[in-house]
Amino acid sequence: MAIQLQQVSYTYADRSLWRQTALHDMNLDLPQGSMVGIAGATGSGKSTLLQLFNGILKPTQGTVSVLDVTIRAGEKPPKLLPLRRRVGLVFQFPEQQMFEETVEKDLIFGPLNFGMSPEQAKEAARKAMTAMGLDHGLLQRNPFHLSGGQMRKAAIASVLAMEPEILVLDEPTATLDPVSRAELIGLLERLCREEGRTIIIVTHRMDELLPYADRWVLLQEGRLAFQGSGAELAADPAVLERCGLTVPQSLRYWRAVAERFGLTGEKPRLTAESLAERIAALREPGGSAAEMRDRYE
Amino acid sequence: MKTIHSDSAAGAAPDVITLERVSFGYDPEHPILHNLSLSIPRGQWVSIVGPNGCGKSTLVKLLNALLPKSDGEITVYGHRLEEETIQDIRRCIGMVFQNPDNQFIGATVEEDIVFGLEGLCLPYAEMEERLQAISAKLGIGHLLEKHPGELSGGQKQRVAIASILAMKPGIVIFDEASSMLDEGSRNELMEILQGMRAEGNYTILMITHDADEILASDRVLALHGGGLAADVTPAELFLDEELLRKCHLREPYPWRLARELQKQGIPAEVPASEKELIDRLWPSNFSK
Repeated sequence: MAIQLQQVSYTYADRSLWRQTALHDMNLDLPQGSMVGIAGATGSGKSTLLQLFNGILKPTQGTVSVLDVTIRAGEKPPKLLPLRRRVGLVFQFPEQQMFEETVEKDLIFGPLNFGMSPEQAKEAARKAMTAMGLDHGLLQRNPFHLSGGQMRKAAIASVLAMEPEILVLDEPTATLDPVSRAELIGLLERLCREEGRTIIIVTHRMDELLPYADRWVLLQEGRLAFQGSGAELAADPAVLERCGLTVPQSLRYWRAVAERFGLTGEKPRLTAESLAERIAALREPGGSAAEMRDRYE
Repeated sequence: MKTIHSDSAAGAAPDVITLERVSFGYDPEHPILHNLSLSIPRGQWVSIVGPNGCGKSTLVKLLNALLPKSDGEITVYGHRLEEETIQDIRRCIGMVFQNPDNQFIGATVEEDIVFGLEGLCLPYAEMEERLQAISAKLGIGHLLEKHPGELSGGQKQRVAIASILAMKPGIVIFDEASSMLDEGSRNELMEILQGMRAEGNYTILMITHDADEILASDRVLALHGGGLAADVTPAELFLDEELLRKCHLREPYPWRLARELQKQGIPAEVPASEKELIDRLWPSNFSK
């Protein structure tokens, strides 16, 4: 397991305004090399959960295991610096954490701090820029003169430059245009499938992640409401509504077709392309639609 | 360039925003906007779309001189944008940003709304009246005593909009105002926008990538490469695959599904719901 939570609770100081986002008794297993989507309404504890993943927050109760590091409630934690290089966190509005005069200086800041040589760091920066689809010409530009979307990509690149084994992103695609969003999800999927990195994405746009995620975690008021595969989620979308989320359109259309033809056992078709192909197959002579008609006549 | 059909513009309403050959850039070699001309009549709901970095935010920030234009003429409500008219123009334009946290000032929601009104030097009774009216309209009366930090994302955006609308601007600009909201809050925002359009007092400029928001608007201005790539209706945009690609946009899911079905040789109109799709594809001579 890349990340395991056993009976974890987290309580902020009682007088805090944010106490409602505390986590209650969470058990969670996120396998290494998987692509995980986390969803939940505002205030369900998503951001708190993410901060447990690299030791920014320590559990009030229970045990958090990340890679080979174990953090137990009430015990002095082990050294967390190496863990923080191996678990890259990209927060909401990552562009707000940029501060250097040039994009390159911003990108090499982390790698240098974690002990890379300047040459290695610059190489990692260039690699990360390519991965994010950013022109290397931007490296010498002032990050504050980039557009919002470019800044967001550069900020994600600055975390990628540290080459983390686990990459945790909080709403990474908000504010990106739809093509850049699809590209970013595609890039993250490649990092996951080809390089075996564990990718964890908090999203309120489930539509765009549904076709790719291996696993979904749904939170409701600080409790785990669901954990399982995309297919399991597709089989029981009502859990989304219980969590205060809307059922994504791609899932609604798939369910309508699946229910009509009793396809509930098969792999959900969650893109327009794959659903259209399935519908075409259903309509062919001898397809399920014809079979179905025979059965009912 | 594609242009919008004249019948889809809002009748003969006078233009409230006019740009003539407007340019802007940090570096004259790489202008962000170049020689842009357009006009927007009163009461229109306009989506401004285009890929990241094409100058959408820059365009709206030029209108009220948050950024200084490098060249050209900007006219807002008949005021030509100049040093002396900036204050008059700013009073006509309200802006709602991506992150409502960036525009909270007061310690309570009420203070936050009143702050803007104090800036207008209104008499006390008028401030009170506007505060009550806007909080009733946007359903935030129960939040007035709260600290902005206690609100959910959707509530914050609602309060941010209330404090802008209380100042009664003729033009309201939404700069990716829904991008941080969850779907429920996004739907709430759409209801507010539809209410604003029904009232007819507002010209709405909305920078967005969201297909459903674009679909709800009257007109789409697509920016690309520092200029205007298209000036069309939402339906025209969503039927034009090439333009969608150029603007880095995607059509709403039902539109995409209809297109994919057509590619499979299945004639399909854009369905209004999943039920409608099923009923059309398989008219029910059998049912469960």
